[in-house]
Amino acid sequence: MPMTIKKSEPRVKVLIVDDESDVLNLLETWLTTENFDVKRALSGAEAINLVGIYNPDLVVTDLYMDGMDGMALLTELHNDDPLLPVIMLSGQAQIPDAIKAMHLGTSAFLTKPINQNEFLETVKRVTPSLINKSILNECTKNIIYKSKEMSDIIEMASLVADNDVSVFISGATGSGKEVIAKAIHEASSRRNHRFIAVNCGAIPEQLLESELFGHEKGAFTGANVKHEGLFQAANGGTILLDEIGDMPLALQVKLLRVLQDFEVRPVGSTKTYPIDVRLISATHKNLEEAVENREFREDLYYRLKVVPLEIPNLADRTDDIPLLAEHFLANYAKSNKQDNKKFSPDAMKYLAGMPWPGNVRQLMNVIDLCATLSKNKTIPLSLVKKAVHDDPIHIQTLKEAKQAFERGYLLSVLRITHGHVANAAKIAGRNRTEFYKLLNQYNIQPASFRDKKHAEKEVN
Amino acid sequence: MSDEKIIIQVDPDLEELIPGFLENRIADIAKLRASLNDKDYANIQSIGHSTKGVGGGYGFDLMSELGAEIESAAKENDADKIGEKINQLDDYLQRIEIEYA
Repeated sequence: MPMTIKKSEPRVKVLIVDDESDVLNLLETWLTTENFDVKRALSGAEAINLVGIYNPDLVVTDLYMDGMDGMALLTELHNDDPLLPVIMLSGQAQIPDAIKAMHLGTSAFLTKPINQNEFLETVKRVTPSLINKSILNECTKNIIYKSKEMSDIIEMASLVADNDVSVFISGATGSGKEVIAKAIHEASSRRNHRFIAVNCGAIPEQLLESELFGHEKGAFTGANVKHEGLFQAANGGTILLDEIGDMPLALQVKLLRVLQDFEVRPVGSTKTYPIDVRLISATHKNLEEAVENREFREDLYYRLKVVPLEIPNLADRTDDIPLLAEHFLANYAKSNKQDNKKFSPDAMKYLAGMPWPGNVRQLMNVIDLCATLSKNKTIPLSLVKKAVHDDPIHIQTLKEAKQAFERGYLLSVLRITHGHVANAAKIAGRNRTEFYKLLNQYNIQPASFRDKKHAEKEVN
Repeated sequence: MSDEKIIIQVDPDLEELIPGFLENRIADIAKLRASLNDKDYANIQSIGHSTKGVGGGYGFDLMSELGAEIESAAKENDADKIGEKINQLDDYLQRIEIEYA
């Protein structure tokens, strides 16, 4: 018989907090029987004192307690360690409490009286003895990397994926903030619902509120139909507010309220609608500086930045460049039904040494350009140099920037009016003929914004 | 009210906890009666809430149900119903017999 040496694993440390000693007795017995190490606290304040000494792997707390309640304890604990798993127990099965607790970063919410099996299964599920491999795999599925810098980011993203805590992604333009946000969504239990990315900087201030929260019929000129808004459209899923630093102050207040109450009130409506959306925000701006300059609300900043993820510049993770280059070449070949090309060794070395101010997006454009221009299977250094030099998207001309804005604007008004051209033209302050001309210029089809119900109305 | 015993099966792991747990519940009955006398509905609601939260975990499901009923009657300041439910809880506590299995 082969001899096995069993390595004793360190016991998982659980801090249990409740102002009822009978509840603590029960939880302690259940946990110690399952070989957990347990410490108990009769109040939130006692728990805070114990955390520094005991350093628990998991905290289980009651929601309603005198003095510091479970929600305040959770906030305090996550100020020091945003990834510390917390299970919240409540005598009331109130959905808003549960949603709020989940958004504040609770790993699970259980209703009393607690069932032993359900409790122990939950404890085992959220205990971070090892990173959940399947979540990590989901996160890495669509991300090309091998550098330590990206590996750290992905590990952090995996830890927060299946937890509704607010994630704040910072990084330069083109560094892949949306890719990471999408990966978090795909690895979370929200993956079967929608992932909606909104660029707050690309939508005019007056339209952004309606885009996000919706509007009632007649809320403003041109609003002839009710519009649902992206928060409601993303219900159950994830919303990415990209370039959040560009959000106007007046709207920041409204967003903060949504995050506090988990409900939205469409423009022109007296009714609020509950929403259950995981929020990820991103920006290339230095938001701390914006807070100091009073351009961004401090309370909102801290609400968004529970878990910060900083995506490194491509030039700071040069190990990833060859992998990315090969990946983009393969993608190009596939979508153009061509044989796969490759870079000569000196060309690849040159790519890896470039500063890449436009990051991954710029690299992708350069690779596409190289693949298009190269007549040979091996792409030489001279062609790479030319493509880098000619990279047309690196800095847009004023005309290109204006056109990009105009197109984004047209898409926004059409989304809000559900493709109703007359209403969209009214909002834009143009007559219908001029508006149609603009749509033609950008090859935008208003019909693609109409749903069946609204299309019928317009015909009638 | 009947004198018939109510057999409750409890996990043997909890054996050491049960006497103290039941003593606390008997003490709660006295507190509930005193609070009802003082019309202190907030305290009754709080004790009802705790009883609801703790009973089922130990295996006393009816205790949780009665706790919930006391809590909701206290929210409505319904003294008659509270009195009735305290009596039921008291009767239940006197009739239970524990089997560790």
